[in-house]
Amino acid sequence: MNTTADVISPPAVDSLLENSLRDIGIPPCPAVLDRIVREMRKEAPDFKHVANIINTDVALGASLIKTANSPFFGFRSRVRSVNEALMVLGLTVASKAIAGIILRRAFPITPALERFWDSSMRIARLSGWLAQDVASKTVSSDDSYTYALFRDCGIPVLFNRFPAYETMVREANNETVKNFTEVEETHLPTNHAMVGCLLAQSWWLPEETCFAIRHHHDLQVIETPAISSPLASRYHIAIAQLAEFFLQRHTGLSHTCEWPKLGAACLKLLEIDENDIEPIFNEARIIIQAED
Amino acid sequence: MPHPHARGADTGAGFLDRATCLHRVSHIAAETSSTQQPLAALWIGLDRLKQINQSFGHQGGDIVILQITQRLREKTGGRSEWYRMGGDEFVCLLPDTNADQARKFAAELIQVIEAPLRFGELLLHPSASIGVVVLEENEDSFMFLERADHAMSAAKRQGGGRIVVSGEEPTPGRMGILLAREELAIESQLHEALENGGLALHYQPIVSLDGHIEGVEALMRCTTGNGSIPPGKFIPVAEKTGLVTRLGEWSLLTGTGFARELANAGLRTKVAINVSRAQLISPKFSQALHAALMCSNVSPELIELELTESLFMDISAVVQDNLRAAREAGVSLAIDDFGTGYSCLANLKDIPATKLKLDRAFVIVLPHDRRAFAVVKAMTQLGRELGMTVVAEGVEEMNQLDALREAGVDAIQGYIHARPMPKETLLTWLKERNPT
Repeated sequence: MNTTADVISPPAVDSLLENSLRDIGIPPCPAVLDRIVREMRKEAPDFKHVANIINTDVALGASLIKTANSPFFGFRSRVRSVNEALMVLGLTVASKAIAGIILRRAFPITPALERFWDSSMRIARLSGWLAQDVASKTVSSDDSYTYALFRDCGIPVLFNRFPAYETMVREANNETVKNFTEVEETHLPTNHAMVGCLLAQSWWLPEETCFAIRHHHDLQVIETPAISSPLASRYHIAIAQLAEFFLQRHTGLSHTCEWPKLGAACLKLLEIDENDIEPIFNEARIIIQAED
Repeated sequence: MPHPHARGADTGAGFLDRATCLHRVSHIAAETSSTQQPLAALWIGLDRLKQINQSFGHQGGDIVILQITQRLREKTGGRSEWYRMGGDEFVCLLPDTNADQARKFAAELIQVIEAPLRFGELLLHPSASIGVVVLEENEDSFMFLERADHAMSAAKRQGGGRIVVSGEEPTPGRMGILLAREELAIESQLHEALENGGLALHYQPIVSLDGHIEGVEALMRCTTGNGSIPPGKFIPVAEKTGLVTRLGEWSLLTGTGFARELANAGLRTKVAINVSRAQLISPKFSQALHAALMCSNVSPELIELELTESLFMDISAVVQDNLRAAREAGVSLAIDDFGTGYSCLANLKDIPATKLKLDRAFVIVLPHDRRAFAVVKAMTQLGRELGMTVVAEGVEEMNQLDALREAGVDAIQGYIHARPMPKETLLTWLKERNPT
């Protein structure tokens, strides 16, 4: 295996990340994200200072401008600078968008992982749209987007650490009865949902997002209201699951057995009747095709 | 039912508002001033409504309020007057009722409220906190209701589902209220810190008596826009609110990551991470520990878990499984703050710990308190017999160190060597002591 190729990342990614990839399985909170969230903590955060931090990483700045201009956020005027992007997104949304941009860069570039990230990105975009469409009173679309982007981030971590993990994922994807994470746990002392939750916590993502990542294969959490399960988390799980189902239907490729296991509970939570699925799917197709 | 003469806005379900309540109290007080008839009020606050709203949406909270208010009305009939003071707070005025009668009535109301309530397929167990107050001579209606509110807050601070009579609060007067507000503020700051990078671990070295560095203990620090919060204040709030599990998992990942950084820098130093009771009673603890070890890619013998002694008052099968799993993973265990609180020698033999940390309370009175010295010596002997390394915490002075050496402890931790410090400072400190 060409190890150099495995750890290539864009030149501006901070050195902490690059170092960590060689021997630490999980990318620690990137320094740039850490600096931004710390600035946000101040009583009067200095947008100009945050913009300066982001501008030290040209690729990051460009990605953030692109994000702010995407139809997903629906701003009328076109954003041209990082400063303007911060103004229109606000620091909270911007920090989550930045986390999402850096996440993909924090892992080695391999063909298998590229496909994984592309798929996560498509699910995330569609989740953001679905949140506006079916659950705007309960969750914000940028939170649903961020959740879906990070939902499976434990997979590349375990993928890097265990050569046999790809086989385990295949086995879990084909499992029609047992919970996905239960299959992982027959081979490992942990699972990708727990790993992803720890990563999200250390990247300072909102609690509801972390909880949803941890329980996204847990049928009981989706279907049973409980004091300990935030409603927003349950919605995030259901929305991303629906988005994944729509994308699989659209492409005709089904890589997982999750919808037969979790779909009914997701629809019930989102109060979507079987008869309503087709009209929503038809609208979703337009969104998916627009992005293809 | 509201009094027929009451005026004011109906806040829904037939309840009158706060202004009407104040007016009504003044009116009754004026009417009864000559007859000396007592007037009592109950300030009722429903517990955990915020959590219910978070879990089931505001619709869930509304259903709970509606069902409980219906029960209260059925229970009280025409005996009392009801007012809604806020989303989940109600006042019941009880003319011609003294403190004892009001307290008994409050107890009956709590029983009514606590009956399980069906919400969809789920059974909820509601509870309420009640403040009881009796009008004092020349007291105005505002003060009267404020005292009722304070008493209700005191009941909530005790964990809810309780009755507190005004004047009998465990933390009387203004301080009590400040404490409740402070706790709420700390909870909100903790949430903010968890999402805004406000948490950090500082590290304090543990040094053996021959100068060898045994390891470092990771201690959590929390900083928000309002400044830093002392651990003595935020840890109890985290424990009460359940946030302690999330803080604990964050510590596990950050602490194991730092052990890896130290190893990368050529410093194979053990990092001790505090683990709370809430974490260890969870069947998922072992998964979280393995995830942290795996993510940090750190050798498990470089990690130690410090277990609070309060854990040992009740060691369940889940806790035992978790401790066994930690040992099987190669992580070592230390018993923290030993000697105070819940020491149970019977449990000590069943815990697979390799380190015993003596509470600082025994150290600060050394060397003058000979009885404390005798206890330290006996505990050290006990730890040794059980094959454990014995560490004394909170060592600040040379004469304390001498006494501990005489008692036979193996290592010490405290300001005498170093205060807890940020990781960058610790790295320099360790390199200076280990130039090779």
